Formats: sequence, structure tokens, C-alpha cells
Amino acid sequence: MTSQSPVGFEEFWNDIDKDLASYPIAPEIEHIPMRSTEAVDLYGVRLTSVGPYRLFAYLSIPKGPGPFPTIYYVPKNGSVHEVIPQGTATGIRERYLTFSIASRGMRNSDRPYAAMFPGQLTDGLEDANSYVYRGIASDALRGLEYLITRPEVDKSRIVAWGNDNALLAAARRNEITHVVSTPAYLLDTVEHAVTTSSYPLAEFSDYLRLYSERTNEVKATLSMYNLRWHASSINAETLLRAEHAGGIYNPNVLGELEKRISGNVTIHESEQSSFKDGLFAEKWLTQKLIGPNAVPIVPEHWQSYV
Amino acid sequence: MVVDRNYRCSVTKPDDFDDFWDGVLDDVNSIDLDPSMEIDPLRSNDEVDVYQVFYNSLDHVRISAWYSVPKNATGKLPAMIQLPGYQSDPPIAREWAVKGYACISVNPRGKVRSRSQFDPGYPGLLTYGIVDRNSYTYRGFYVDAWRAVDFLLGRTEVDGTRIGAVGGSQGGGLAITIAAMRKEITAASISAPYLCGYMDAIELTHAYPFHEINDYLHTYPERRADVERTIAYFDGISFADKITCPVIVNVGLQDNVVPPETGYAVFNAISSENKKFYEYDGHGHDAGKYIHGAIVDEFFATHLKRGN
Repeated sequence: MTSQSPVGFEEFWNDIDKDLASYPIAPEIEHIPMRSTEAVDLYGVRLTSVGPYRLFAYLSIPKGPGPFPTIYYVPKNGSVHEVIPQGTATGIRERYLTFSIASRGMRNSDRPYAAMFPGQLTDGLEDANSYVYRGIASDALRGLEYLITRPEVDKSRIVAWGNDNALLAAARRNEITHVVSTPAYLLDTVEHAVTTSSYPLAEFSDYLRLYSERTNEVKATLSMYNLRWHASSINAETLLRAEHAGGIYNPNVLGELEKRISGNVTIHESEQSSFKDGLFAEKWLTQKLIGPNAVPIVPEHWQSYV
Repeated sequence: MVVDRNYRCSVTKPDDFDDFWDGVLDDVNSIDLDPSMEIDPLRSNDEVDVYQVFYNSLDHVRISAWYSVPKNATGKLPAMIQLPGYQSDPPIAREWAVKGYACISVNPRGKVRSRSQFDPGYPGLLTYGIVDRNSYTYRGFYVDAWRAVDFLLGRTEVDGTRIGAVGGSQGGGLAITIAAMRKEITAASISAPYLCGYMDAIELTHAYPFHEINDYLHTYPERRADVERTIAYFDGISFADKITCPVIVNVGLQDNVVPPETGYAVFNAISSENKKFYEYDGHGHDAGKYIHGAIVDEFFATHLKRGN
């Protein structure tokens, strides 16, 4: 692993910003009564990203005077686009404004491009400019650009919540004040992919097994997205959710990011319990965005533990 | 939090439950399975051949699946049916092939790769057509999973007397229904079973995906009786007394997606003499999988690998 970002790194990302700037967001907003309540309104939002490509997002706004602390659910790697992540207490929508965008290929943003899962992560991988992730990263940034136009958003409290894309978004947009990230494939991708047969990293090892002659091109493409080179641009206070010690993205590996991220970083090693890991993240979020004495809003079966 | 291990769900199995499902099976049995299978070089590796599979199901919906087979296997193989969760994309279950099983991982209608003809979306799939048993999503969705048995029975490398079913969350719910409706299932591992005790679950937890039903009833309160009537035909608890094969069930006592109470309720309703329940305190929807994985492996090795 070299110690410097790849040649053309800044130009590559500046070009993405220029591309985004060339397309108006052009939002269309529609109220969704079925997912709204006496306390919360849900809206479907359509907006334009690079391509141009039309995306869909869910925007949930508490009723009453804002602005509100905001959770930006950055696009993940999977076909399903949710209002809030499965298993999250629905009451969280009464405290926070939440925004969840489907990047191109995900449900609700799958016309004309319907991605396959697995499959999307290697679509166009042989060239950095044709790689589908250029669009996905743009979509994640475009989502934030729309979000900060909303007067209901408290600009001093915006958390990007998700996988690697949450870190990418925070690196490229300083409006993100906090990050909760579970890195899964964009840190030293090739080096880790060849050691596992588990997805999502296995998408890359599958690809390199079949197209080994493209290894150099693949490495060049992925170097543009390597979190290693983005970390120093992250000023947000960050929670890194690491795998347990035997996992690939364990605390030791994520220590590479911790050293480079400019903002304060907490690393939480997975306790191999979605309850314990989830509760830690909810407590961290509540403490950082609401205050040290605030009670996290958690699902019924966690409430005895807050 | 104290979880009631004797929790009883409110669902009542309809008197014509068997007649309804016999009718559905008559419908699907009139449709040729017409399976197709193509090697996927991208997903195959030194140990496992992976195939993209398609077959017909109810309403002539074409269902996709991943089929993983150990390379260079000799003799008839035990088989596994891997059943998918609600929100996650169906996995390529190469790990089962590495363990010596022929494994089909099914993508029922609406899931990725099986959604060109039917796609109510997420949220939405759980409540699509829920006012009537003949229009409800899971009428076809269940059958799509059950037909994986027919696919396996048509494979010469598979021993049709040794077929297991495994799944978590929605996959656990599907494992209950397939073990109930297909007597070819020799053993089933059911983790954090979703789709059981629906009407209790929406009171016990307020998180998606079960919360889709609360959203629906909030919008259409006048349809509650119709919804309850429909769900009784699809609730895992209504299927449970038909299960006679060996079964293991595991839940996390702090499950934030599927209330553990409903896991106890469905387990208590299962008829199998050989059944065992595992509860994991300190675990959520993972249902203790990091510990339980070895138990699942041993369970299937005991029941499916005899004679190997």
C-alpha cells in the first residue's frame, strides 16, 4: 500500500462536484399519507443527480417548530430502500428529521438502471469514469445537497448514517457534523477482498478471479474510492462500527482510518450482538445530537437497557 | 426485559385452512415447473459451482434462485433450501456447498431478480393485497419458496430424502411454512421467525417491517377485520401443527424486529416430537447467530448426512 493518494485523485472528485453543479436538483415533493402520523409527515422526493439520473428519497419531518436534528441515511449496498432502517424504533422520526435516498439501481431509483445484488459493486469496474460507483457517490452527495436546502434541518446537527458511503459523503461535504459508519468494502478493497469469500467484498474477489488480467485497472479504479485517501478530509465527529477482532474491518484495521480522520473518532468493536451494537450506536447518536442526559429512542425490547 | 415464554398469540387457525391451501396447491400444480439452470462463472470458484436457476410458480411468475453445488462431488448429495429475509437480498449460499450440500437460495416474487412480474416494493410487500387471502402477497410468495423442493427433486445429484430448510427472520417464517407443507423436508432450522403472530407482533414492537401493518390499519381502520381474517391463513402459527420433522428454533431476547414472544408461541405450536428451542439473552435480531451457527451445522449433519 502506497502512502499517497493516487494521481488525479483531487481532479476526479472535483469533476464529480462540477458534474453535480451542472444539474439543478429539481426536487418534486409529494406527501405520503400512509407513512405519516399525527406527529410526523413523510414525503417522497424526486431529484436529479449526475447523468442526469432521477432519484427517489424519503423525507420524514416531525410536526411542530423546527429546525430538527437530522439523520441522513446514506445509500447502502442493497436493493431495498427503506424509510428508516429495519428494526429502528419508529418513534425516532418524532425526534429527528430523517432523509433516506435510494442511489441509482436501488428500488425506487431503478429506472432505467436496475442493479443486481450482488453485481452492482463491479459494474463498470475496469474504468474509474465508467464505474457505476461514480454515480452512486454522486447520488450520496446530491442527497445531502438537497437536504441542506430544507429549512427544517438544524445545520449544526446532521449525522450521516450508513456504511462506507457515510464516510465518503462526510469527506466531500463539511455540512455533515457527525458520522455513524460501518465500513464494509471501500477501505483497501482489493487487499481485503482476496482474503474472503463473503459478500459484499466477495464481489470484488469474484471479479478478479474471472478477470485477473484486469487487476491493475481495478486497483486504479478503486483507489479513487479508498477511504484511506478520503479520511483526512473528514472533520465530523465519527463513530466507526468495527467488526469483531476476527473480522476483516476489525478495530485494528479501522485504526488506519482513525489515525487519518480529522474529527474525533470513536471505534466500537462489534460485540457480535445486533442488540448490543445497535444500542451503543443509538446511545452515541443521542449523546452527540441531543445531549448527555437525553434518553435514546429505542425499540420496545431494548427499553429496559437505556 | 422479561419475556413471557408461555405467550399465546391471538391468531386462530381458520377451519378451512387446509381447503384454502389445497386449492392454491392445485393451482400451482397445474403449472409446469419448467426449470432452467445456467452456470455462473463469476460466482463459481475452486470449491463450488454456482448456477442461476429459474422456475415457474403461481400465476406463472418466473422465480429466480441461486444453486450452489460442491465441485467434484460423488454420490447423491443432501440438499438445503436457504430462505431469504424480508429486507435483505437473497444470498449466494456457497458456504452450504462447501459443507457438502447442494443448496438452493430462493428469491421469491418481489425480491431482487424475481420482480419483473410482481414488485409491490418495500415498504409495501407485507401489506400488498392484505384484505383478501386470494390477493395477499404471501399466497404466491410462500408457494415460490415451496417449489424449490420440486426443483431439488428434479436434480440427479440430490438425494430427495435428505432436504433441509434454513432461514432467519422472514426466512425463518418461510422455513416454518415449507416444513409444514412439504413432507420432503427432513429437518428445519428456524431463526427469529417473522410472519408469526402478526397481530400480536404489531403491538409488541413498533419497528419496520411489522410496522407496515400499523401504517396500513392507521390509514384504513375499517379494514381491520378483513386483514385479521386474511392473516390467519398466512400466520406461521397456523402452519405449525403440520410440522413433524426435527426442528430447531432460536430467538434473541432483545430482538427489535421480531418480538421473541411470537417465537415462543410458534415453537409451542409445532407438532414435531423432535424439537428444541434456543434463547439468546443479550441478542437482538441476530438471534445469537455467532454462537448458534455451530448448533445449526451439527443439527443438519445429524439429520441430513446419515450414510455419508
